[in-house]
Amino acid sequence: MRCGAGIDARQVDELAINIDPIQAGGRLTADAMKAVIAYGDGYSVCDNCRKPNRLDYITKPPIAEFHRDLASWLNMDAARVVPGARRGFQAVAHTYVNKGDPVLVTSLSHYTEFLAVEDARGIAFEIPDDDRHLITADATAAKIEEVKRESGRVPVLAFIDHVDYQYGNKNDLKSIAKVAHQYDIPVLCNGAYTVGIMPVDGKDLGADFVVGSGHKSMAAPAPSGVLAATAEREKEVFRTTAITGDLTGRKFGIKEPEMMGCTLMGVTLVGMMASFPHVKERVKHFDRELANNRIVTEALRSIDGTSVLSEYPRKHTLTRVDTTASFDTVAQVHKKRGFFLSAALAEKGVVGIIPGATRVWKFNTYGMTTLQAQYLAQVFVDIAAGNGLKIS
Amino acid sequence: MVFSAMYTLTDLRVLLRTTAPSHALNNEQRAQAERLLENLERQVGSLKQEMLK
Repeated sequence: MRCGAGIDARQVDELAINIDPIQAGGRLTADAMKAVIAYGDGYSVCDNCRKPNRLDYITKPPIAEFHRDLASWLNMDAARVVPGARRGFQAVAHTYVNKGDPVLVTSLSHYTEFLAVEDARGIAFEIPDDDRHLITADATAAKIEEVKRESGRVPVLAFIDHVDYQYGNKNDLKSIAKVAHQYDIPVLCNGAYTVGIMPVDGKDLGADFVVGSGHKSMAAPAPSGVLAATAEREKEVFRTTAITGDLTGRKFGIKEPEMMGCTLMGVTLVGMMASFPHVKERVKHFDRELANNRIVTEALRSIDGTSVLSEYPRKHTLTRVDTTASFDTVAQVHKKRGFFLSAALAEKGVVGIIPGATRVWKFNTYGMTTLQAQYLAQVFVDIAAGNGLKIS
Repeated sequence: MVFSAMYTLTDLRVLLRTTAPSHALNNEQRAQAERLLENLERQVGSLKQEMLK
């Protein structure tokens, strides 16, 4: 079945349980799929755009209301939709970072946070993670002092991951923000793995900015995301244009330079909006997701030689495991080598781990039913037992 | 009616996702599938009438 020349219809999630660590929270809801069908045309949300001609002022479909709801839901004062979390990082970095400015990131930060700093010509300084792979307030304070000592300057911005992408570990952002604020450093909470997955209260966390990813965690099409700010920071990052054409004298109303005017003008936005009521509801039941994760993680831990590298008990469904002393010992002698595991999983209708990975790899159980979690857990155990590994 | 039929198919698609990989339906899911397929047949019937009259 094809949906265009050379484009096969994608039915990964219809045919299998998909445990890809970055795809789980972005799977569309039924309502988002329906919105995508109706709003696929380019400028589909712009039919009723009227003065002052800005996306977040459109009332039909209710985009203005969605923006207000987004900000309120995150307990922030203003929000804009952006083409992915990375564009949120970029807007904030571009607002606060000048050439040579020190900026705090972490040793577990996503590459796009580094690129945002680089794009603004800042210098990235990494707060180290500890032996549990967590970023702490103490490490943050120590790094700020180190930057002060070495560069003579205080960092102008801090990018802190609420949950990091490598281990899925949840950092104590509130304590970290408290330390940063003692040095007057604004804090961007990278909620790419939390906004839309679990409750996020920006003000309680002490964040100046909360960034979320629509396609990673809000059941929305890519690229989509949200940048929310406090009232104080809103005026800075969402400032309006002041430029005038020297020849024509043209001005551009209330367009926002950091947003490059309007951002998500069609299917990405309505997909995000259609999923939003479901997303608001699902974050209240994150405990169910953790329970499903526990079923799978416990099954993996029952395979001798397997360890969980993420913090344990888990506080997030994205989980990193080490199977060097279990599945990788099978790979050493198996005719398919390292590909035996992904092949065996695929035979059982499970996809999403990197083909060939048998040492350190990640999976995500978010969004699966309990029956699917139980099935997945049994599949791991069966593959292990079938290849001579001991189950405890 | 075009959208109604496509939306019914979308609901069936989501049912496939929540029951992957075996697609073994429990009683509740079977009843839901039956209802959706009946709706789809009705919607396709209406489309035929409207477009081919």
